[in-house]
Amino acid sequence: MKVAFVVQRYGQEISGGAELHCRWVCEHMKKYWDIHVLTTRAFDYVTWKNHYGKGDDEVNGIPVKRFPVDKPRNPEKFGRLQSYILENEHKEEDELRWLEEEGPLSPSLIRYIDEHRGDYDFFIFFSYRYYHSYWGIQTVPEKSVLVPTAEHDPVVHLRIFKSLFRKPRAFVYNSYEERKMINMLSGNHHIPGDVVGVGSEVPEKAFPEKLREKYDLKGDYIIYIGRIDENKGCRELFRYFLQFKKEAESDIKLVLVGSNLLRIPSHPDIRYLGFLSEEDKFSALAGSRILIMPSFYESLSMVTLEAWALEKPVLANARCEVLKGQCLRSNAGLFYENYAEFRECLHLLLDAEVLRKGLGRNGKEYFNQHYTWEVIENKYVSILDRLKKRE
Amino acid sequence: MNKQDKRDDAEDGQDIKIDYEDIDIADIMSQIKRRIASMPEKPPEDESFLPEASPSPAPPPEMPPDIEGTRSRLKSMLLKFTRPFSPVIKLLIFPVHHELTETVRKLDNTNKKLDYWTQKLDRDLFRMSENLSKKIEEADRNANRRIDLAFDEIGVIKEYTKLLHSLSHNLVVELTKLKIEQEAGNLKSRVLEKDFAFLEKREKALEEQVFK
Repeated sequence: MKVAFVVQRYGQEISGGAELHCRWVCEHMKKYWDIHVLTTRAFDYVTWKNHYGKGDDEVNGIPVKRFPVDKPRNPEKFGRLQSYILENEHKEEDELRWLEEEGPLSPSLIRYIDEHRGDYDFFIFFSYRYYHSYWGIQTVPEKSVLVPTAEHDPVVHLRIFKSLFRKPRAFVYNSYEERKMINMLSGNHHIPGDVVGVGSEVPEKAFPEKLREKYDLKGDYIIYIGRIDENKGCRELFRYFLQFKKEAESDIKLVLVGSNLLRIPSHPDIRYLGFLSEEDKFSALAGSRILIMPSFYESLSMVTLEAWALEKPVLANARCEVLKGQCLRSNAGLFYENYAEFRECLHLLLDAEVLRKGLGRNGKEYFNQHYTWEVIENKYVSILDRLKKRE
Repeated sequence: MNKQDKRDDAEDGQDIKIDYEDIDIADIMSQIKRRIASMPEKPPEDESFLPEASPSPAPPPEMPPDIEGTRSRLKSMLLKFTRPFSPVIKLLIFPVHHELTETVRKLDNTNKKLDYWTQKLDRDLFRMSENLSKKIEEADRNANRRIDLAFDEIGVIKEYTKLLHSLSHNLVVELTKLKIEQEAGNLKSRVLEKDFAFLEKREKALEEQVFK
């Protein structure tokens, strides 16, 4: 079976959510299918400027066709247009204009899909909200499978997406909450869709002591891994943590890992380690008491799954339905909606080692049941096999 | 390990009961919510963020005793001499700085209160929008279900119509065929009648010949 994966950016250096998700799936599915990746030449997700060279490429043994971005995104113009369509009555043409402004605007990629539709059995599109997915699915609806990676953000309510969600042959969802949201928005219950998500490669051994030595980390700590950003709930996390430190007589520290877009408060118990290698990241996670996930919007939190794979409990933001749902299904994490709940949950998790161990055990079991690569690969194979049989 | 372990809370004496062999997050969270609901609510007043109170201004130094006349002369000369600089002196002498810091402190407190109420408003709005979106989702789901049902019914009616159309077509064909067959039968019967009439005539003629 020949399958094309269509994604906005693709490359070894790209560590973004959906793009990394796509690369991992491609690399694991290449033993089952003949895979090609169709993408743009962009690297920067803010402007989509052409970065990669022209012509065909190969990334970890997978052929990659890159198409030029005709017009880079103007962030200011795009921001203005987005505010307008989210806050005002508007027409469908305005939404299509918004989609074009959002990009990555690559009509040659869509032309290629149109001209080579016969060469591929299926086209798997990643990220519903970009130009390539919208126009790609309109071009080959009968051969398209969508991995929406949708979060509960306002643009998902745009009317162009309602019709888009009724077009593909099948869906690969990241979570039950995502499926429920898309079903409710578009009424696409009749389109087959499995909750699959993405696997994770967790190292067999982590070296927390080595990491403690390297970064001079002393005492117990809780950890946040990810982009340190307001949208990820980090500002609220800092406020809650400082309040907690003031109220509770605890010597717990907060360790932050990831790229930083926010002013981190200067406090002796808040340590920022920067962007770490995979090995160091897992070591830091293994040495922590719990993982904290303050994000408001997640379609699937990979780092949460990694924490569970390492038998670490999670304290998540309950206002993110996906994280709350994952905690409830796995029985491996607590969640908070306000400071009082944050304080109580953190107290409980820090005080009761037996609870941490129990939650960690549940997390590991949940990970093994749903998120090992073997499980994920089988789900992808079964989806396309079912579609092939129906033809 | 105790099957029914407990975390004692020294503050209010309430426990969170957890079955560690079969952890139920929903149950733990509902216990936590109950505990919080039973606690008195307090606004997030954080005094550490307030600016330091400025020290109160020192009392003016006491004037040494002096002769009344000299003092008044000196005073009038001094006033005359310093009149052009009086705004600057006022600015330096009077506790403007203190008033300013007081005002800043008050403004800061007001800002903090505003922040608290804004956050509360945000939370309430968030809850309201969640409720609203749930209702909209519900209505949307119902509408979709009805539309789907209507589409199903339309599909069934379309199928019936197709069947009726095909049935009428077949009936017309069959009736036409029957009509043609009837006409052919009539024709055959007329031919046979003529044949009989001819044979009768021939029979009579032959009889006449035989009995002649």
